[in-house]
Amino acid sequence: MGTILTRAWPAAALAATWAAASVSAQSDRSDRNEFYLGASAGYISASTDLSTWTEGGFSKLRYTDDGFNAFRLFGEYHGRITPTLRARVVADYVDDASGGIDFTEAVIDWRPIPKSRNQQQLRFGAFYPSFSLENGDRGWQSPFTYSSSAINTWIGEEIRPFGAEWSLRRRLEGFRSNHEIRGFASAFYGNDPAGTLLFWRGWSLHDRQTRFSDELSIPPRPFTTAPPQKLKPFDEIDHRAGMYAGVEWRYARRALVQLARYDNRADPYSFSNGQWGWGTEFDHLAVQVDLPAQLGLVAQWMEGYTQWLTAALPDGTRMPISEHVHDDFASSFVLLTRKLGSTQRLAMRYDTFSYERPAGTAPEFYGDEGDAWTLSYRIEPTERFSGGIEWLRIDSRRDILPMFYSTPAEHSESQIRLQFSYRLAAPAR
Amino acid sequence: MRTTVFVRFALRVSSLLAALASTEYAAAATLEVSVVDENGRPIEDVAVYATPAHPVAHGAGAAASHAGTVPKAAMDQEHMQFVPHLLVVQTGTEVSFPNGDEVSHHVYSFSETKPFELALYKGDAAPPQLFDRPGVVVLGCNIHDGMLGYIVVVDTPHFAKTDEQGVALINDVPSDDYVLAAWTPRARPTALPPTQQLTVGKETVAVEIRITGRLSPPHEHNVSSLTWERY
Repeated sequence: MGTILTRAWPAAALAATWAAASVSAQSDRSDRNEFYLGASAGYISASTDLSTWTEGGFSKLRYTDDGFNAFRLFGEYHGRITPTLRARVVADYVDDASGGIDFTEAVIDWRPIPKSRNQQQLRFGAFYPSFSLENGDRGWQSPFTYSSSAINTWIGEEIRPFGAEWSLRRRLEGFRSNHEIRGFASAFYGNDPAGTLLFWRGWSLHDRQTRFSDELSIPPRPFTTAPPQKLKPFDEIDHRAGMYAGVEWRYARRALVQLARYDNRADPYSFSNGQWGWGTEFDHLAVQVDLPAQLGLVAQWMEGYTQWLTAALPDGTRMPISEHVHDDFASSFVLLTRKLGSTQRLAMRYDTFSYERPAGTAPEFYGDEGDAWTLSYRIEPTERFSGGIEWLRIDSRRDILPMFYSTPAEHSESQIRLQFSYRLAAPAR
Repeated sequence: MRTTVFVRFALRVSSLLAALASTEYAAAATLEVSVVDENGRPIEDVAVYATPAHPVAHGAGAAASHAGTVPKAAMDQEHMQFVPHLLVVQTGTEVSFPNGDEVSHHVYSFSETKPFELALYKGDAAPPQLFDRPGVVVLGCNIHDGMLGYIVVVDTPHFAKTDEQGVALINDVPSDDYVLAAWTPRARPTALPPTQQLTVGKETVAVEIRITGRLSPPHEHNVSSLTWERY
């Protein structure tokens, strides 16, 4: 019953906002209310020996079987409470194990009218940090490829601050008038288990975003203390606020460089409601450049570590002998994209990723190392319909696989994805 | 009889004076202003304006409203940009802000010359604003960060904006001594606008104004292959 209720109320909220948007479309000339609906489905042809991670497997793909799938159905609602105060929610329907409708973002933005060249913004709620330069489209989708890079896939899976973010943007004057600088800082709650998936499952590349109350599957491990049966990456466990902060420089619509640091400040000894705290920290660099010949380049780099003490038991006691996880992770990608006319787009991306125990710290079979190529072509013949095809190949090595799962360490997984999308914006785009 | 002669004489003198005055008044010329950078390259979209030494004598008062009707101008919004990027108006002009986009804009200025805010509107819903003080007004949109526009309010009816060749034509400039000035947002903000003194007679006057110091590249409206706006 409780589950039915948690699943039902987002649906009701969605219906209510839809109704509000329809009414406002007739009565209000300004877009105080705006509703956006996105639906995508298509055919997957996958080649892998592993089973999907969404069902507790080790595959880095979301779909490991050939066939038709409903990829995503989402609604995004923008409502202006006042001209400077905006509410935005995004609710998703997915058809996998978690199922149902749930939110991926719910945020209130306040942008007061600037009194000087400094423009400030405050955000409250659950939102994505602005690290991901790939995911600038509605519903945090990528306009370039269908599957996100390893970095942004992981951010979509495990990073969702529930808190506040303050940012300050300043456009410089005169002969530097095309230059703009921005600083941001956030304090948040939740996100304490972030890092769990990288340890248990490793990196992956797909388009599934974790919804607020999703419970994700984790591959079974035949050793170590009991893992959580299901992962809830946004839980608050130790009641310590996390933080992230960054600076950004931008030159007109030509170049952008952002440097940021994230630290969930989770206590690696903590345990609550079936979830462990993973102390996860990373540095992040993001670059976007408009190149000649109408080429665009997007690149991100991430390096950090996560730590966890397996000795903490659900009853609050600790085992005398424990294993202290203190592992390093890193990933980067470079994406090149080009628009062909006004309706078509090509994109090519190369990803690298690694997860490893620092040298000299036994055991050393916890690694996940590999790279991936993504090629994508998309076409938008009409305002509402679009389609495209994407080829993705991931080569990776995990030494834990032959040791405990009688599977080779090295895997080459590939996927061809044919997608059709429909979108509807009311009353304005 | 004497009176008649005197009256006749007076009439003749006055008509002569009037004729003189009218020729004097009609003596207007065109000011052809070329604006170049320190390397002699032409600069587009520069506001140039000539302020007369004797404004009252030529009816070129400080505020345009002195002339009777209030002059009007428009700063449109098209494809998420202010059009024109730079607008020059005389003090006392009423500027409207029609929004040609499908989405709402929230236009504001924090400039001392004219701070104002036009909260969230579409079409012609925003009331026109009176620009009654000279100076530069920087425009922004609180929703679309990429939007940037300038209104240059000048204390003279003799103004123009340079074209692609860096040339601005100010027509019907009455004979007088003038101070000619130029302003572009691309120059160092602390630099005073370059000025030049000149005398306008009956012939077209060609002048060159050189803007020294580094200039930023022109404001770009290009459609990039990447996503730059955060939503």
